[in-house]
Amino acid sequence: MIGIIGAGPAGLAAAKVAAEAGAEVIVLDSAPRPGGQYWRHRDDVQGYKSHRAGGYFDSVIGSKSVTYMHGAQVWSAVRSKGSITLNYLHEGSEKTITVEKLILTTGAYDRSIPFAGWELPGSMTPGAAQALLKGHGVIAGKKILVSGTGPFLLPVAVGLSEAGADVLGIVEAHSPLRWLRSPLALILNPQKALELLYYLRKIRKYSLKVSFGRAVIGFNGKTATLSKVKSNLESKGEVTQIGCDVVAAGWGFNPDVTLGGILGCDQRVDRDGSVIFKVDKNQHSSAANIWIAGEATGIGGADLALAEGEIAARSALNDSIPFSLKFKRFRLQLFATALQRSYTVGNGWQGWIKPETKICRCEEVSHAEICQSVTELSAQDSRTSKLFTRAGMGLCQGRVCSRNVSEIIAGESGCKVTDQERISYSNRPIAAPISLGVLADGINPQ
Amino acid sequence: MSTSAKREVTFTFNGETFKGVEGQSIAAALMATGVRELRKTRFDEEPRLIFCGIGICFDCVVVVNGVANQRACLVEIAEGAKIESQK
Amino acid sequence: MSQLQKNPDAIVIGAGIVGACSALSLTNAGLKVMVIDRGTVASGTTGAGEGNILVSDKDPGPELVLALRSRDLWFEMQEDVGDTFELEAKGGVVVARNDDSQLMALAKVQSANGVTAQVVDSKELHQLEPYLHPEISSGVFYPQDAQCQPMLAAAKIIQTVISRGGMLVSRSKVLGFDIKDGTVVAVNTSTGKYSAPIVINAAGTWAGEIAALAGSNLPVAPRRGFILVTEPAPQYIFHKVYDSDYVANVASSDADLQTSTVVEGTRSGTILIGASRERVGFDGSMNYEILRKLAQQAVSLFPVLRDVQLLRAYRGFRPYAPDHLPLIGEDYAVKGLWHSAGHEGAGIGLAPGSAALITDSILGRNSFMDATAFTPKRFAEVTV
Repeated sequence: MIGIIGAGPAGLAAAKVAAEAGAEVIVLDSAPRPGGQYWRHRDDVQGYKSHRAGGYFDSVIGSKSVTYMHGAQVWSAVRSKGSITLNYLHEGSEKTITVEKLILTTGAYDRSIPFAGWELPGSMTPGAAQALLKGHGVIAGKKILVSGTGPFLLPVAVGLSEAGADVLGIVEAHSPLRWLRSPLALILNPQKALELLYYLRKIRKYSLKVSFGRAVIGFNGKTATLSKVKSNLESKGEVTQIGCDVVAAGWGFNPDVTLGGILGCDQRVDRDGSVIFKVDKNQHSSAANIWIAGEATGIGGADLALAEGEIAARSALNDSIPFSLKFKRFRLQLFATALQRSYTVGNGWQGWIKPETKICRCEEVSHAEICQSVTELSAQDSRTSKLFTRAGMGLCQGRVCSRNVSEIIAGESGCKVTDQERISYSNRPIAAPISLGVLADGINPQ
Repeated sequence: MSTSAKREVTFTFNGETFKGVEGQSIAAALMATGVRELRKTRFDEEPRLIFCGIGICFDCVVVVNGVANQRACLVEIAEGAKIESQK
Repeated sequence: MSQLQKNPDAIVIGAGIVGACSALSLTNAGLKVMVIDRGTVASGTTGAGEGNILVSDKDPGPELVLALRSRDLWFEMQEDVGDTFELEAKGGVVVARNDDSQLMALAKVQSANGVTAQVVDSKELHQLEPYLHPEISSGVFYPQDAQCQPMLAAAKIIQTVISRGGMLVSRSKVLGFDIKDGTVVAVNTSTGKYSAPIVINAAGTWAGEIAALAGSNLPVAPRRGFILVTEPAPQYIFHKVYDSDYVANVASSDADLQTSTVVEGTRSGTILIGASRERVGFDGSMNYEILRKLAQQAVSLFPVLRDVQLLRAYRGFRPYAPDHLPLIGEDYAVKGLWHSAGHEGAGIGLAPGSAALITDSILGRNSFMDATAFTPKRFAEVTV
């Protein structure tokens, strides 16, 4: 039995290959419907080349050899000789399944950096605005500003415009000229030019204002404050105000490495500072019979996730991997690297925040408190600061704030954030909350 | 798959009656009517709505039929559900 | 480089709670103290502790005498350092699930030895803890039991030491000692050599490794424990509550897993659940079956906890000596090298008392008790 955790593009690509080979597969995904974040849908997927999604959904939902458990949240996992046991929550109780091979495709979530007022209603990630729209048919607000860095801002802004939202603009921190640093990636990925043209047409159709070299550095619920920023995100002044009730701000993505970490798969720090898994050319991790594909091996978007998912499944089935597929992954990885070079997130944001800005949203720990933990209590890393201030100890267990806390502390204490610290704050022994009663009752027989 | 007519769902939020569309999350249904606050934070009593929208950040927690820490961005509205702000 | 940095009056190895209290005690006696840690404040077992300050779980004997004095010293320290580490005279409630004879016998003996142990009937028990399982009808209330936030405590205490002329050297690994004519004269570390006539080894679970660098045998071994941490919940638990199995487990040498039930709330609203004890070396891997057992035990005492969610779990390594008594005193061979380690699961509670003992010993003063039972010399003839 092959287990696949996560039904986004990577997981679906893997499931499709396995299903077509007639292998017994179980797909576990925590959302009510497949597609992950890239292919959110209610009845049909919209967006660039989204028609592909249908084929993948059919292969999962329609196949006889695939068991698709939606609304299944894996909270822990254990490796033993020759098998992997997955403990998951489903419809209020706990279930368990043991598989011989596992493909982890758990994806990523928006990376956020704090700014004055980011806690307020109306401040959200671009992923939230997209989830509301694509998943639930709701437009996040009356006047929406999309801000941050990275190509993800485009489909969010365009999708909202297509649905009739008043999108005031896209505020991109970096200059598009940075792409010129990665000529090979552009040459080898001509299909991306078509994608760009698609978005340029939409930008023109909806008269979307796009500004470069600017960022939203403040919000009060009704007005956003924008500033010109340097390439390291430091504010250059030249501040303007825009009336809006929604700021959807995103700064790339953080892969969720919790489950692979629980299973002992080796991790490393990618050039953008995100923590990802080490995999070989077959997408095989350092742990026997565990493959990892998609964002968790390096942020790279849906196309790369599809290629990696396919490779992982083929490897799990002991099938050969065609050169064309390997080359596709190679050129898309080059593109992913170019993305990282073009859309860096420097430390200049630390100058945007005010002492009272909450860095840990869950436990309401302010910037001032975190700095105090360094200057007065000798904290030199996020783990120690967490022990003193509770930053990272709340419901989200540091998924939103840990990286930012570490970088603030590094800035405050004049140290660098070590790779070990990055790996440490990205991992946790429990992947999702589980009630004590369910935990105590042990396992429900399936 | 074509868009078939979706059922209307009636639920309450802090005692007030709201209507949404079957399949919507609590957060989506409320925000569609212009609700801008799901709760006040427990220490500093600051207003929160949704943030990540995909179940990672737990900013949007609400009490659903007496059970706390339910993520409004994930949990779908159900007929007759009693939803309250979490303290 | 400041004069202090080259020649402090005393060096304390370990910036956990025992090291912090030792440093403060020496500082208040007029010495300039340098604290060295291979990590930073509370990087070891102190960072995995619950903050227990208990007299209820001690059998009469030297450890109880130490615990009673140490508990009072915690409140004196709060006067000195400030109310900055959530110190609370919360009180402990020990319940007997079935046969309460052992618990009652212990309570009687403890009462004769300075512990306030109030036997409570079922009605009083459920007034103290309204959410306790209705079938539990027998218990003892210990008003002297207290709790603090141990990481904050260590940090605030060290902050006070620094403000009174001391210093903290963090991320500094001890590599060896300079010993001249059987007396320690300096500590060699990865950040340099520091000279002092007095060195206190307060390295907790790693104190044995530090002692070995001085050629000394200090048999401190790790005893792993897990703690469950829940989401913030309404206040269901009003004291530290545990079952009488806890006492038997602490005193046992069994290598196999032992669990008892310990439940308490915290200021932030989270509920902490323990306790497990195993001798598995420094194996830090998670064990979900142990987490299940701890959860089972907790909900059997407090059924209301069934609907409270577990958010995280962590583990720590309690430092223990073979006879389950701490090691407090001068090294058996090296003069000037003192040890304050091996406090097992009672490090937080016993820290200020140990610090007072060791400061008195170092300065040649009479102390509040005879520390012979704790002397490291008791292991001088034993080789591991």
